Amino acid sequence: MNQQSYISILSALILMLAVVSPHLLAAGGAAVGPQRIVSIGLCTDQLLLMMAQRSQIASLTSSATSLQMSYMADAVGDIPLNNATVEEIIPYRPDLVVGSDFAARDTTRFLRQLGYEVKLAVLPTTIEEIYTLLTRFGEWTGNQARAASLIAKMKQEIVEIQARYANRPVKSMIIYSPNGYTIGANTLENDVLKYAGFRNLSAEMGIVGFRKISLEKVIEAKPDFLQLDNHIFNRDSLASSYLGHPVLDKIVDNKERLFIPSRLRACAGPMVTEAIDFMAKKR
Amino acid sequence: MKFETIPNSRLLAGLGVCLVVVFYCALLVGPVDISIVEALIDWSRKESSIGSLILFDIRLPRALLALFIGATLGLAGAALQGLFRNPLAEPGIIGVSNGAALGAVLVFYFGYANLAWFALPFGGLAGALASVVIIFMLIGDSRSNVTLILAGVAINAIGGAMIALALNFAPNPYAIQEIVFWLLGSVSNRSINELMIALPFMLLGWVIILYCGRFLNALTLGEETASSMGFDVKRLRWFLVIGVAACVGAAVSVAGNIGFIGLVVPHLIRPFVGYEPRRLLLASTLGGAILLVVADIAVQLLSSGGELKLGVITSLVGGPFFLFLILKTRNTLL
Repeated sequence: MNQQSYISILSALILMLAVVSPHLLAAGGAAVGPQRIVSIGLCTDQLLLMMAQRSQIASLTSSATSLQMSYMADAVGDIPLNNATVEEIIPYRPDLVVGSDFAARDTTRFLRQLGYEVKLAVLPTTIEEIYTLLTRFGEWTGNQARAASLIAKMKQEIVEIQARYANRPVKSMIIYSPNGYTIGANTLENDVLKYAGFRNLSAEMGIVGFRKISLEKVIEAKPDFLQLDNHIFNRDSLASSYLGHPVLDKIVDNKERLFIPSRLRACAGPMVTEAIDFMAKKR
Repeated sequence: MKFETIPNSRLLAGLGVCLVVVFYCALLVGPVDISIVEALIDWSRKESSIGSLILFDIRLPRALLALFIGATLGLAGAALQGLFRNPLAEPGIIGVSNGAALGAVLVFYFGYANLAWFALPFGGLAGALASVVIIFMLIGDSRSNVTLILAGVAINAIGGAMIALALNFAPNPYAIQEIVFWLLGSVSNRSINELMIALPFMLLGWVIILYCGRFLNALTLGEETASSMGFDVKRLRWFLVIGVAACVGAAVSVAGNIGFIGLVVPHLIRPFVGYEPRRLLLASTLGGAILLVVADIAVQLLSSGGELKLGVITSLVGGPFFLFLILKTRNTLL
């Protein structure tokens, strides 16, 4: 190696140190939990807003303010927004970055390489796993008591909802989404259906997870209810045209078609109790 | 190989019987086992049973769409080959289909399709018309295969890029994934609605093209001869162009760009009709319908659920055929 390349490597190292060191210093002096948390996912945005002190939140993603997708849109206020790119996140000098484990992989890998603390929420597939997620999130952010009270409130609400609609019969349901996808076993949606008093016919057909279903199979299954997933508000696509097929009008009546507001079902969290109530009411 | 010219009526009757058979087979194919007879009985009693719903709301619209679109592409291929007096002319190869797809994409993804029932096929028509006009401008009086193919390559490339660009800017987040549909075509999960909006334009195009049959016969002898026989060459050429644009535009606007049907079908049928363009038209219409209905059956058998696009099948058959045609004609026509 010649002298020039030594210099360039050295300068790169210095540059990295300059970026990383303030964070390293700050981590040592943290009092109660992290104080500059940046969220890089819609779901962790909402969990932060529900659980953490406002002073702990450094930045949320731009989807946090979407009235359609975010249950906590009203609570965002003047918190700065980001688009989950490394360049935007570093200036906040975060002592904790939170996100969902399925999103923004490049960003999280890069942030970890630079020495930042990144914690990723695993997507819950049952209501029980939501409790686990809330507990863990409370520990990460130093808000254990708040997490415990959110869990207690959820449990109580579920008991109340189930008592309120206990005398209604169990009905069958198929979830039909853009591009002809349905949601089967091992999903949070499946668990939510069960809590709301519905049989998920897709799961009974042996479908696991998020899979394509042929329209003929939907007709054959003869569900009592169809949950049409219209979380995309613009209907001008072939994907959305699946939900407008005229045969759907013939297998269920208008009142047997459910459109669950996306802000209740886009993410796993305490808002699922509202989704359960919304569905159980229609049963 | 030597072919006997078959009397028109017998050829058309044979193709018609074939079409009925494959169409019936198309109604049998699907992920749920239903009895066609029981479904028909339920339907006649106005009972909406599982069988009758699947037959009349799902399989019949799909099979009819394949039939009419295949017919359109077969007819348009025969018409374009006559019009350009070039055996390699085809809506997909010369870029008319991509032009139509671009027009349809612009109407569909930006909310204009809701303005009127005819907005979508009209968008397809406008796009198709624009690309035929550009082709004419590019090739001028040339009869060379190379010029036509190169013009087609250019228009296809520009059309494809503009489709991608338009889908990128479309407000719906699913739009960009749907480029596969527009470039390869499909009739899956389409309903009677799509058939009804495309049908009037397709039939209009057919009538115009069939009306020009005698002109296409005369055109084989050259434009001067056709003029001297009393045909208004300029006007009739426009007629044909509008006819092709109307039916191809409408077909592509509801099913995307399904390639090579218009190339393969006229070539398969030409020997049986004594190389007479006018007789080729009706026979190619039936032939195209048969081929696309068969292709759609193949698509469903090869991939239940996971949707294979129609253009994959038609291009797998048509692509090698196209190469074969180039090899066969390169000494005589280039």
